[in-house]
Amino acid sequence: MAKERIKDDDYIGPLRRLLTAVVILVLTVLLLIWRIDSPRVERLRAQITDTVVPSFDILMTPLNATVNLFRDFQSYQRVVQQNQELRRELQQMKAWKEAALQLEQENARLLDLNKVRLDPRLTHVTGVVMADSGSPFRQSVLLNVGARDGLMDGWATMDGIGLVGRISGVGQNTSRVVLLTDSASRIPAIIQPSGQRALVQGDNSPAPPISFVENRDIVRPGDRVVSAGDGGVFPAGLLIGQVAQDPGGRLRVRLAADYERLEFLRVLRSHGTEVITDPGALIVPQDSPGLRQPGASAAEAKQ
Amino acid sequence: MIVQSGLRLWGMRAGYLGFGLVVILVHLMPGTFMPARLPAPDFIMALTFAWATRRPEYVPSIAIACVVVLADFLFQRPPGLWAALVVSGAAFLKTRGRFLRDLPFWVEWLNVAIIMLALHLGYRLVSSLLMIPQAPLSLTIVQVSGTIMIYPLVVVLSYAATGLRKSTPGELDPTGHRQ
Repeated sequence: MAKERIKDDDYIGPLRRLLTAVVILVLTVLLLIWRIDSPRVERLRAQITDTVVPSFDILMTPLNATVNLFRDFQSYQRVVQQNQELRRELQQMKAWKEAALQLEQENARLLDLNKVRLDPRLTHVTGVVMADSGSPFRQSVLLNVGARDGLMDGWATMDGIGLVGRISGVGQNTSRVVLLTDSASRIPAIIQPSGQRALVQGDNSPAPPISFVENRDIVRPGDRVVSAGDGGVFPAGLLIGQVAQDPGGRLRVRLAADYERLEFLRVLRSHGTEVITDPGALIVPQDSPGLRQPGASAAEAKQ
Repeated sequence: MIVQSGLRLWGMRAGYLGFGLVVILVHLMPGTFMPARLPAPDFIMALTFAWATRRPEYVPSIAIACVVVLADFLFQRPPGLWAALVVSGAAFLKTRGRFLRDLPFWVEWLNVAIIMLALHLGYRLVSSLLMIPQAPLSLTIVQVSGTIMIYPLVVVLSYAATGLRKSTPGELDPTGHRQ
């Protein structure tokens, strides 16, 4: 067996061995040439790289695509997790955004309230909201200012931006503000710029509906709603909000005041509207006894 | 007796070259540009040795030289040195394969491991003789141990992929010679 093998190897073995030896020799010579004349062989290397690597491109593209596919797959696996993380972060961001907005509004409000002058002739009294109605069916807040501060029933109450409600019930140190959203609230209003007169009726919803519009066709969503001086309830021109249309086609007011956060409210002193009682006396002198008392006018308006 | 067709022989030779190219390709692929902490094992050497032990006719010295010298050129190694070493290691294994086929796998593995270590040693020796800058010893050790570790895997995979196994006594090679 062994002899046979050796006999077989006689044909092919030496040739192979010779070939192998030649190959090794050639490679060694290549190494030596490289060591001796490095720049030439390095140029050769550059040429080989230049020829081979671009031709690899054809193969490399699908391979790269496959690798990218797997990488994408890995990232797809993490997509749900990433999504959750992003959601959490978004939530935090929202909270921060909300905080920023609130701070901005509060800042604006406080800046506005800083104009408070402690003068009996001042135009508004600022109070802090102590409590709300405590009932889901009554929309009112309690202020920490009352008769002690000269408040009277019927005076308008605003936050820094828009009308909030009116005083209804004054205690010695507190007063209740019936909000515009309360179902008992009826505020005469003017829709700008069309000048339509209307009534803002609270109905326990965040956006009170507008009723008794004279001509609905010229009222568009987005119009400004301001208070009217009708009935001597409110000073005219206080911003209430903007007209909006609900899905049922009913006009409503999107209130300008920030009802989410009623914190500081200012009560506008209203010294009553001058009322013409007799045809002859067009202009009533300031100190005349014919001047109606504000409390009386408010009581009248409430009826 | 199983007579292998010439087609299979040339197919396997082409397969060897193709595998070598693919390995080079994968190494060249623009994946990460960070320096690798663990150098990849030398798949070309593992495959060459596995095939040289089993079917010497599939890995002629010229094919080995072509693949490894191309790798030398493309991987910025001193050209020819590693190729010459791998070719001589494969040639040695080709002569030993006949005896190794009757022995358990771990003997073959040990043989291959010793040859790989010897080749790396020779590489470092020649490099230092020719004053060629060398890779850090620790990385070389990691690489050679990795290559030794993947050797059984390469054997199993080449058996699974191409049905490559040790020749049995009395089997004829495609040229009609007894193995």
